[in-house]
Amino acid sequence: MSDAGPTRRDVVKAAVAVGGAVGLSACIDAIGGESTAPTGPDDLSTLPERQHAWKGRVREDEFGNEALPRHQTLLYLNLTEGPSADARDTVEAALSTLDRALARNHEGLLHSIAYSPAYFDRHFDESLPEDLDLPEPRALSSFEDPELDRQDALVHIASDQPDVLLRAEEALTGERDTLNGVTVEGALTDVFEVDSRRTGFVGAGMPFERGDEVEGVPDGNPIPEASPLFMGFKAGFAKNQATEDYVTLDSGPFAEGTTKHVSNIRQRLADWYGEQSFDDRVMEMFSPGHVEQGLVEGVGENLGDDSGIDRFVDDIEAHAREYGRVGHAQKAARANRDADGNPLLLRRHFESADENVASLHFPSLQRGIGQFEAVRQAMNGEDIPQITPAVRQRVNNGILEYIFTKKRGNFLVVPRSLRALPTPTGDVE
Amino acid sequence: MRRRTYLTGLAGVGATALAGCSGLVETRAIPSSPPVLSNRPSAVYFPTHVEGMQMSGMAKSGEYQFGLMYSYPHRFWNVNGTSASMTEIQDDDDIHLMATVWDPETNTVLPDTGLSLEISKGGDLVSEEVIYPMLSQPMGFHYGANFGLDGDGIYTVTVSVGGVNTRRTGAFEGRFADPASADIEFEYAQSARDEISFERTMDRAGEAAARPPMEMGMMPLSVLPEPADLPGETRGETSMGDARLVVKSLETLPSGVEGGSDAQYLYVSARTPYNRMVVPAMGLEGTLTRDGETVFEGELLRTLHPEAKYHYGAAVPSVESGDTLSLSVTVPPQVARHEGYETAFLEMEDTEVTLS
Repeated sequence: MSDAGPTRRDVVKAAVAVGGAVGLSACIDAIGGESTAPTGPDDLSTLPERQHAWKGRVREDEFGNEALPRHQTLLYLNLTEGPSADARDTVEAALSTLDRALARNHEGLLHSIAYSPAYFDRHFDESLPEDLDLPEPRALSSFEDPELDRQDALVHIASDQPDVLLRAEEALTGERDTLNGVTVEGALTDVFEVDSRRTGFVGAGMPFERGDEVEGVPDGNPIPEASPLFMGFKAGFAKNQATEDYVTLDSGPFAEGTTKHVSNIRQRLADWYGEQSFDDRVMEMFSPGHVEQGLVEGVGENLGDDSGIDRFVDDIEAHAREYGRVGHAQKAARANRDADGNPLLLRRHFESADENVASLHFPSLQRGIGQFEAVRQAMNGEDIPQITPAVRQRVNNGILEYIFTKKRGNFLVVPRSLRALPTPTGDVE
Repeated sequence: MRRRTYLTGLAGVGATALAGCSGLVETRAIPSSPPVLSNRPSAVYFPTHVEGMQMSGMAKSGEYQFGLMYSYPHRFWNVNGTSASMTEIQDDDDIHLMATVWDPETNTVLPDTGLSLEISKGGDLVSEEVIYPMLSQPMGFHYGANFGLDGDGIYTVTVSVGGVNTRRTGAFEGRFADPASADIEFEYAQSARDEISFERTMDRAGEAAARPPMEMGMMPLSVLPEPADLPGETRGETSMGDARLVVKSLETLPSGVEGGSDAQYLYVSARTPYNRMVVPAMGLEGTLTRDGETVFEGELLRTLHPEAKYHYGAAVPSVESGDTLSLSVTVPPQVARHEGYETAFLEMEDTEVTLS
């Protein structure tokens, strides 16, 4: 784009992080003009029923790994009125404005709305289907005390273009009349209030660019320039991720939906980079076997589409005894496979500089929240210190020393046709 | 779910008096520590210098009582496996923060869990770290780390403890499973820090001796009882890597220990020489033999009990006078060390003790 000079880019990137209506508007005014984004279809029935359908709509790297949208925002919303027919019309109008205005892909906008168990509990007498695994969020380790996100709804918007992301947010929050040339037909903030706004980014170079500015990254900014994440390695290798089909509910009123756990994890990387060698980091992120066999170069680009973790899962006790350390991926993989070896979770996490603190927003999609909980519990590695005191509750135990879970929430990503204030039974009132 | 309590610092008086005039007080550099001795014994030794410490505050949350103290930044040694590596004082370190967690019902210091500190000032994050379990001569077991601060002022230190994974027995069974955190207000002034005593002790440095335990007021130390004051029968004593090991037995298993109804309980209480501080977080295996036959062979599990305190124990068929207990350390105590402890409790040769 000819108008996408560095200054403009910097302004926009900063604006996603700054947020707030004033910040956004000032930024957009400063930029002037609208960049071109592909528009959505006229016939909305051509859109997928799965709100979480990103496959084929995001970039893939040369190995077939999903390259997630570079800019993402999470809006946690509470209803200001009951879920009436009028309120549903408003929500649908707001969301279908996005559908029409912007192509549902990384150049336009990927978006979804999901609802919490608290929403269904607060606003309805009926219960969710018994076989839907959507509990209230809770602490998932013996050493965390997270704030529990129990807002009614979670809107997740994502784009490679930060100004598109900002404009979409402005449309949702009633601060724009048009979006990419399309009239804004409704605002979510007509029926919701924004309880919490969280932003983030992911992609090679982006953590490094912010490394000097955020609390949590040590002086000297040791983050590798090629890394898509603060901790210096790629993640989410295709072979270690569940497919969209796998995580999608296949029956019941919410078929084509999925469950979504979102945590926020503060990162404290002074000791990660300051006290650990590259090999130490590989051991703790992947497994001691990865170091033994020299499997990881740089940020792990050479791993292709598979971290290779599966073959080291059974070695975890031996590794704990021999190396006094175990790997993060090694622990988690223990619970992240079905009987046939298929991964259960589709992890789509991205980094954040919210409040100038390095953190990770961690959305994970799966058929049931219990699957996520089991993987997190495996990652806690509370069994490993029993094997050797060299591995402690949070030291030498994967990456637990460097991450602090601050928030957890569970949500149901309903199918698109039920996205406007659904009932627990999926019936239209 | 969120258990937090608030308590202002106990040490506020001294700091408050000085806070307003910190700009007028001459700035003193951190006293420089003498170099590490070149000929340290592989044993507990008297350190090259002795620092005081200042209580910052205490707070209670859930089942736990927390205490927070500070001193000058320290050099200390991290232990990973069988090696101890020195962590030097960094240029931007202002203080060494120390936290302890104990059970207020029995005044038992709880070692061997995870502890983290979040430090904020005026709502801004200053730091958050998992801090390391440590042994020091005057305090014994505690959690500690050096931190840089953001100048004089009032800080909030959130102390968070993880649920204890160590086996808990007797009246401790089922306790300390949940995490908890408490906010402790910490008023810091460099001028107050610089009032903390600092004494070079080169005349005694390297002696086979230790600083005596500090008087910590309401805060219990990790001092273990004399052998005779521990429950059960004293069966023998031995030494490994300069740690004193007391072998005891109980006629019946404490609740929380699995074993047959006839089984007895054999346990080892490991403590520092001179001041009986608990030596936690090691891997210990034992073989009990009688007339050439092996009666028991296996791990002595890290265990917390309200009277036996932190120890290493196992269910065994029986313990008799004349039995031989062979002890083998699979992993030396995985705790960081303040000076004077960094060469002890690392090389721990197998030992045998004939039980009385």
